[in-house]
Amino acid sequence: MMNKVSPGLLSLLRLASPSLPVGAFAYSQGLECVIDRGELTQRDEVLSWLTGVLRNSHAYLDAPMCLRMHRAWAVGDELAVKRLSAELIAWRDAKELRLEDRQQGQALARLLTDLGEARAAAWLRQPYTSYIAMYSLAAVAQQVNENEALAGLLWSWCENQVAAAIKLVPLGQTDGQRILMKLQPVIEEVIANALQVDDADVGASLPGVAMVSAWHEQQYSRLFRS
Amino acid sequence: MSVPATALTAQSWRAHLQLGFESRRGQTVLVQRRHFGPLLVQRPFYPEGEVCHTYLIHPPGGVVGGDELRLDVRLAEGCHALITTPAANKFYRSDGRLARLHQHFQISPNAVLEWLPQEAIFFNAAEARLHTRIDLVGNARFIGWEYSCFGRPASDEVFVSGHIDQGLALYRDGKPVLLDRLRVNGGGDVLQQPWGLRGHLVTANLLMTDADDSALALARDAYTQDSGCELSLSLVDGVLVGRCLGPQAMVVQACLQSIVQTLRPKLLGREFCRPRIWDT
Repeated sequence: MMNKVSPGLLSLLRLASPSLPVGAFAYSQGLECVIDRGELTQRDEVLSWLTGVLRNSHAYLDAPMCLRMHRAWAVGDELAVKRLSAELIAWRDAKELRLEDRQQGQALARLLTDLGEARAAAWLRQPYTSYIAMYSLAAVAQQVNENEALAGLLWSWCENQVAAAIKLVPLGQTDGQRILMKLQPVIEEVIANALQVDDADVGASLPGVAMVSAWHEQQYSRLFRS
Repeated sequence: MSVPATALTAQSWRAHLQLGFESRRGQTVLVQRRHFGPLLVQRPFYPEGEVCHTYLIHPPGGVVGGDELRLDVRLAEGCHALITTPAANKFYRSDGRLARLHQHFQISPNAVLEWLPQEAIFFNAAEARLHTRIDLVGNARFIGWEYSCFGRPASDEVFVSGHIDQGLALYRDGKPVLLDRLRVNGGGDVLQQPWGLRGHLVTANLLMTDADDSALALARDAYTQDSGCELSLSLVDGVLVGRCLGPQAMVVQACLQSIVQTLRPKLLGREFCRPRIWDT
């Protein structure tokens, strides 16, 4: 027994891996713009940005939404997932943020369909398909429990953002690891918060993030799609 | 649902105002007006012909903890109303109780609502939850903004304690199109941080439905960098979303107005008609 890994662990590692072919590496969620403006020039500023976004946005939006969609898939309530997913898309308040969620949602719906997950097919080419709707489906289908699913979602977001910051600021790989280590307790805090947020309390917008995303649309030279 | 006009305590109010607009003989008429408590409208007027301009009067003394204000507005098919307010809506320091403001707009097919209120001012230590929901049916159109000032710069009053939770939700045919919710905890870092209000005191949202890339380009051209504000514009599923941050309400309003002024002819086929009450 001591040597047995939990049933969902390897699936979780695969779902949270940067090699999951949904193109996450192509998106910076406004980081490219805010760094280009000279507002994040060093490691601690990047850490502060990511911590702020996790605590003030993910804690009230992505994480509680993921939890709810995971629970809905687990009981086979696809209609509830659809409603939540459409809502999540409506929270994406700049063109590129919305496009990113839809494109990654489509990529994952396609992948899951190709891997034989029949429930994903109905989500192809639908405007309400968010990444988290498909991610939570994959988690439920592969025995990743809700806490682990949240940890994986938030971890892969952090990893992707830090990878973008390493390219953009630029930062060294060791600094990247320092940021990620400091984000680990923040992720735990966000998960704890997500488990407590009630339905009426779900939802958060960050003006600064929406603005840099909108400005990114007109940025002269760009590596990232958001 | 009707709310009795009873005061909860000597200091707090429940108020409910219902407005209904209809198109009659080519003119939009305020056909229903029911109010309980100190939330009122003035007699509508018509500075540009058929469009019904309406001034909404918030409680004269401002809003305090425990107050519950509710506004319900319905626009029947084919009518066009512009609603604004003659002054800022003040949310005072709370005694610990929450003030609530809920605004709901239902807009029928072929109808147009312009919702252009003046700012909400959150005094230090205010506790308030505000929610505005716009329900569009069919091809209904909406142009609107909401802007808020945290603290009172003129009195050097900084928003260091209190909690504001301010939501804005746009639905079409019952489906969410754009959802927004700003949460500000006094003393927290949202006011200062680059992901939040970026050090500004005033924040605004602007929504304009039925926009396209050419409208977005026009709006971007209308914005002048030296306005003293930071403005971003984006287009999501046919809705132009503007965000503006600035040092004081007046400059933010000027910035929002320049966008509406530029796009109104294209989106609504009318020149912008500045409500005169803003000048008084």
